[in-house]
This record gives sequence, C-alpha cells and structure tokens, in this order.
Amino acid sequence: MATAEDSRVRFEAIYDEHVTLIHRFIYARVGNRPDAEDLTGQVFMRAVEQLDIDRPAPQISAWLYRVAQNAVADYWRAFYRLPQIGAEQVAGAWEPVMPQPDPHADADADRASTAVRRLLARLPEQYARVLELRFLHRLSVAETAGQMGISHGNAKVLQYRALRKAALLVETDG
Amino acid sequence: MADDRNQAPEALDRFIDTLLEGERPAPDGVVGEEAPMARLAAELAAAGDPTRGVPDPAFVEQLRLRMRDADAGIASVQGWTLPVGAQLHRIRLTRRDLLRVGLGAAAGLAAGAGAISVLRPPPRAPLSGNERPLVRDGEWVAVATLADLPEGAAVRFSTVAFDGYVVNDAGTIRALSSVCTHMGCTLSYRPQWRDLRCPCHGASFNLSGELANGSEGRSSGSGYRGDAQAYPIDLPPLVRPEVKVSGETVLVWTAKA
Repeated sequence: MATAEDSRVRFEAIYDEHVTLIHRFIYARVGNRPDAEDLTGQVFMRAVEQLDIDRPAPQISAWLYRVAQNAVADYWRAFYRLPQIGAEQVAGAWEPVMPQPDPHADADADRASTAVRRLLARLPEQYARVLELRFLHRLSVAETAGQMGISHGNAKVLQYRALRKAALLVETDG
Repeated sequence: MADDRNQAPEALDRFIDTLLEGERPAPDGVVGEEAPMARLAAELAAAGDPTRGVPDPAFVEQLRLRMRDADAGIASVQGWTLPVGAQLHRIRLTRRDLLRVGLGAAAGLAAGAGAISVLRPPPRAPLSGNERPLVRDGEWVAVATLADLPEGAAVRFSTVAFDGYVVNDAGTIRALSSVCTHMGCTLSYRPQWRDLRCPCHGASFNLSGELANGSEGRSSGSGYRGDAQAYPIDLPPLVRPEVKVSGETVLVWTAKA
C-alpha cells in the first residue's frame, strides 16, 4: 500500500523528470518566459489534482504533453482569437521528441533550429534575412537595418512582410 | 511598399519588441491576420533564444512548493509543510542575464544581482566536519590528467553521480563540487580570480571550496571588498570528494551508477 509520502516522492520524481521538457515545449510556442512559466504552472498544478501517477511512464508523459498542448492552444485562442492549428513545423524545432525525451539532446544548437531554417529557406532572400537578424540573432530593428543597408522604416516593413509571408506558409502547410 | 507602411502595424511591432526583450507581450491590438504573425514571431523568438527555454531554477523550485502546498490541501496530508524559510521570492531573469551566461550555465541561473536579501536558502543539514561525502559504494573515476592541470587550472568533470571541478591549488590537486551550496546553480571557474563563481547570486568559492566573498572574505582584504555582488549570508563549503593521483591520472571517488 503506497503511503502519502510514497506518492509525494513519486510525483516529485515525475515533476523533476518533466518540468524542463514541458517548460521548453511551452516556451517554444509562446516565446516568452513569463507566459511559459504561467502555463507550465497550470499544467503541473492540474497534474497535482488529476494525474494518475500509477499509470505507466509513457502515459504520464503523454498526459502532461497533452495538457501542455491544450494550455498553449487556449493561450493563443483566448488572447489572439486564433483557431487551434499546430504551427508545429516551427515550434518544437529544438525540443526533445516524445516519447523518449533526452534532456541532453539539445547539446547541438545548430541541429536544433532545422525546422526554422527550413521555413526561412522557403522565403525570399530578403525576408529570410530580416527574420534571421531580428529573431535568431536578436538584433534591434536599427541594427538589422544597418546590417542590411536599408532604412529603419524599410526594415520594419520588410519584417512585417516577411512575417506575413512566413505565417501564410505555415498556415497553408498546417 | 507604400501600402504596407499605411497599415501602421504598431501593435505587432510592440509585441515583437516586448517578446525580444524577454518580457510578456500584451495581446492588445494584435488581431486579424497579425495574430498568426504574432504566433510565428513567438516561435521564432523562442528558436533564437540561446537558452533553449531551459526553465529558471527559481521558478522550478517555487512551482514545486506550490504543488506541495496544493497537494497538502487536497489530501490533508500531515507533515508536508513548507520548510521554514523556503519561501522564494520571484525574481526575474533578464534576457541579458541569460545571454551573458549562455546555454550551458542557463540551467544554473536563478536570479539577477541585488535580489539576494530576499532569498533565503532552504534549510540544510550542515555538512559534517569532514566535508567529503560518505560514498560507501563508490569507485575511482579518472577525470583528468596532470597535464591538464598546471598550477591554477581547473578542469570540469562529470560522472554519473557528480559534477565538479578538479583544481590545482598551489600544487594540491583537489576535487570540488560545481554546485553552489545556496540554491544549486552551476559554478564557473574564473582563473583570474582563482574562484568558482555562481551566476545566480554571485557567491564565490575559493579553491579550498570555502565561500570567499562572504562577510569574512570581504573584510579580510581578499580582493572581494569592492565586489558589488558580495555575499551577505554564510554558505556551507562545497562538497569535496576524495581525489587521488595515480601516475599521470587524476581520479575522483564517486558513487557508482
């Protein structure tokens, strides 16, 4: 007979095993830590109440990822009125793949962004460049403009068009 | 291009700037066709983050405490109260902190400087007089060679059970844990300071494993006096596993897998 202490230990082992993975899964889809932390918190607080910790490990993983996926979908639906589509070609590019997540799998940072590179490769060169400088290299608009030898205003316009085009590609694929 | 400019996509620009600052963007005004663009921007921003979304350790511990609290409430289980002083105040990492420290150390980051007065470490059993962990069922693991370890050098090693450094401190080879005794962040070696520095709250440990910039270290003219991040609380020394040199090989006594 499992005691309360046993369950606590078991639950915390599940938590330790998954918290980084779930946080990364969510972060890859919301792109900022405050929201990723809120949603990660929701997932595990819900797990405290509802997760059946006596299930086999793969089922537990699947449950956590499903709740996380729903939390992300709700987030985009609630705030941005977006229907639930999976822009999975982009998000999750570097997160470990279920169901056998390897916490060390991200050692190779380059391999990680394969999906992003693939998306960028499908864009006109200038579009890909502006997104790369802004998001992957995290330059400011002014720095991006400088790198590309265009005006600040043009860099903004270019970024806008590039995002629109890329979002369209993702959407039609999804 | 004129038509694009007239769209005045300020809400989306604001969204992106906030995102790239590592802050929580407000959804206000991001509507219509810009919503999927915002979502894509979020995903690209995440993909470009060198920390790869590794959670802030302070967040992980705080959530753990919240869950214990909730679980205690649900099950009315006794004996689950929060450890005294375990209340962690939320401290936000800036993106700059994360970028500066980089991917490897990101897992060890908890908070920025200046926050230390509100952080109390969870109580821990004091280490015994002999700081070496009592590993009974251990084994000697080769972690470096003497050639790697000229005077003042430190080599990071990792065994199944232990992460640490072997250092050459004026001819003495020593093994030290790389885990800060405050909140478990990963220490980095700074050759010019000959210390192991914690990225979270700035604790520095000397090559004997003792806190070097605590109240004592600061007053003793050890060089930390002007240290803006000097450490206001005393921390236990680093764990020091046994080490031996066999021929040219440096071995550390560590628990078996």
